[in-house]
Amino acid sequence: MLLDYERMGRPLRVALLGFTTLVGAFLLLPVVFIILLSFGSSRWLAFPPPGWTLKWYQELFADPSWLEAALTSARIASLTAVFAVVIGLFASFALVRGNFRGREILRGLLLTPMVLPVVVFAIAIYAFFLRLGLGGTTIGFVIAHTVLALPFAIIPIATALEGFDKSIEDAAIVCGASPFEAKLRVTLPSIKIGIFSAAIFAFLASWDEVVVAIFMASPTLQTLPVKIWGSLRQDLSPVIAAVSSLLVFLTLFLMIAAALIRRRFSK
Amino acid sequence: MTQPFLSIRNIRKTFGAVVAVHDVTIDIPQGEFLTFLGPSGSGKSTTLYAIAGFQDPTAGDVLLQGKSLLAVPSHKRNIGMVFQRYTLFPHLTVAENVAFPLRVRRRPEAEVKRKVAEMLSLVRLESFADRRPGALSGGQQQRVALARALAYDPPILLMDEPLSALDKKLREEIQAEIRRIHRETGVTILYVTHDQEEALHLSDRIALFKDGRIEQVGTGEDLYLRPETDFVAGFIGNSNFLAAECLETANGVATIRLDGGEVVSGVKAGQPIERGQKARLMVRPEAFRLKAGTATAGFAVEIVDRAFFGERQRVVARTVTGQEIDIRPTADMADMQGGEALGNRQVFFDPAGAFLFPA
Repeated sequence: MLLDYERMGRPLRVALLGFTTLVGAFLLLPVVFIILLSFGSSRWLAFPPPGWTLKWYQELFADPSWLEAALTSARIASLTAVFAVVIGLFASFALVRGNFRGREILRGLLLTPMVLPVVVFAIAIYAFFLRLGLGGTTIGFVIAHTVLALPFAIIPIATALEGFDKSIEDAAIVCGASPFEAKLRVTLPSIKIGIFSAAIFAFLASWDEVVVAIFMASPTLQTLPVKIWGSLRQDLSPVIAAVSSLLVFLTLFLMIAAALIRRRFSK
Repeated sequence: MTQPFLSIRNIRKTFGAVVAVHDVTIDIPQGEFLTFLGPSGSGKSTTLYAIAGFQDPTAGDVLLQGKSLLAVPSHKRNIGMVFQRYTLFPHLTVAENVAFPLRVRRRPEAEVKRKVAEMLSLVRLESFADRRPGALSGGQQQRVALARALAYDPPILLMDEPLSALDKKLREEIQAEIRRIHRETGVTILYVTHDQEEALHLSDRIALFKDGRIEQVGTGEDLYLRPETDFVAGFIGNSNFLAAECLETANGVATIRLDGGEVVSGVKAGQPIERGQKARLMVRPEAFRLKAGTATAGFAVEIVDRAFFGERQRVVARTVTGQEIDIRPTADMADMQGGEALGNRQVFFDPAGAFLFPA
């Protein structure tokens, strides 16, 4: 390589290190601040905190509406993950194995939600669901989030399927497995890492989605991000910092778990 | 007439305007090792896929013991197949891979165990039973694929260039294994390859494919010693083709004049040829002699290069018309020494060992 770390001079190396540190700090510091503030005793989120306390967490767990919102989010995100993975699986087979007119158009269409401004999609689906009476329902939430999560499910599954040699599936068929059985017993286990990644990404795509959720939510059905958004507009309480910290830890936990499981799979 | 075990009848396969297989007909007796040999794109793999059921032929039929296979879906044909690429199931161990065809057939567990052990010992990989395919070498993977394909005692085993991904030494080793397994199991094998040495080494009979047709079927000896067309003569073994003209022909034996001017009589005509017709005379490199001896026909050449390989030597000579020919004199010492000097001299061949084809 032309620009090799080993070969660049000391000043360049220091400059690079400094720049990288700054970028890292810029990305991580807000998260660190939030976590520190959630343990701070100041109601006005003063920094540095005058003292340390757990009372915001106590306040959080004392209010059942937070837990309820978290459970709603978990339920919707889980259902979204299931639907996105199942539809993503079929879509991936069509996109990777299919040989039909309009395949590229279908691919583009399925991946559109990733590039479409979310607010445009949110308004469109809000107007549409208003007619169908799906606004404020769990099923409405799940449908809307599945559309958004689909690209995140299709990309890892299609990538895994592309890397899987179809001859292996053919071999299973010659061995006596029906085409369906061959997919179930050979193809799916071989692309399980892709399916697993798809499930995690789809879950997270729904779990921290706020724009569509604001349009979909009703006073009785709120996801966690909507509840945070609503509380923020009323008052800036350290309870929100506590919720945010818990969300950061949960996401961190999910990503680490995913990495560990992936490592075990690939052995 | 007794019914052939496997009968391929007038198979034709087209992809749009492209004809991959024109018209292939061949009968295969039980227990035979038949190789489809040919250059790439000659239709040999397509014919094999039609038997496996991956591609439906446009026309024709495949009969196994008199019953058509074409209406039977791939997974119910009960055929074994080893692929060109590594097709072991990556998430299963070696033993589970071999057990797979038995498990989908819902065979009792005791039988599965017994059969897996039997198959792994057949391919001599007993100690690898609990490994994953990823931990195996390419040669070992193909041996496991062979064990998996034979686990359910299929009447026919199809092999689609199974050794092409392996290096030469390993290829020879596994060829020996395949021969042994064919001998021990007596399974009927259809083998596809573009490697003539592999075909000659393994097969009972070889079907040589060219442009979607079988050019000639026969034992390796048949194809080598009695080629029916110049394509067969050129594909199997090394050959020199000398331009000539037919002067006289009777009962499949012709008298010709080489383009250099020499008249040679008593050459076999591989195909019907007429007087006055332009022709090509095929002479194997090892049929040339540097000393006359029993070889009666001879012509003038210039020896331009000579290399010694121990058991034989290789001589490159140039004819008076400027064509370079390849000569491999035998280990006959007199012959060897005769070739020491470069320069102008005569080479000889036995007309009975040469073949004449129309140009």
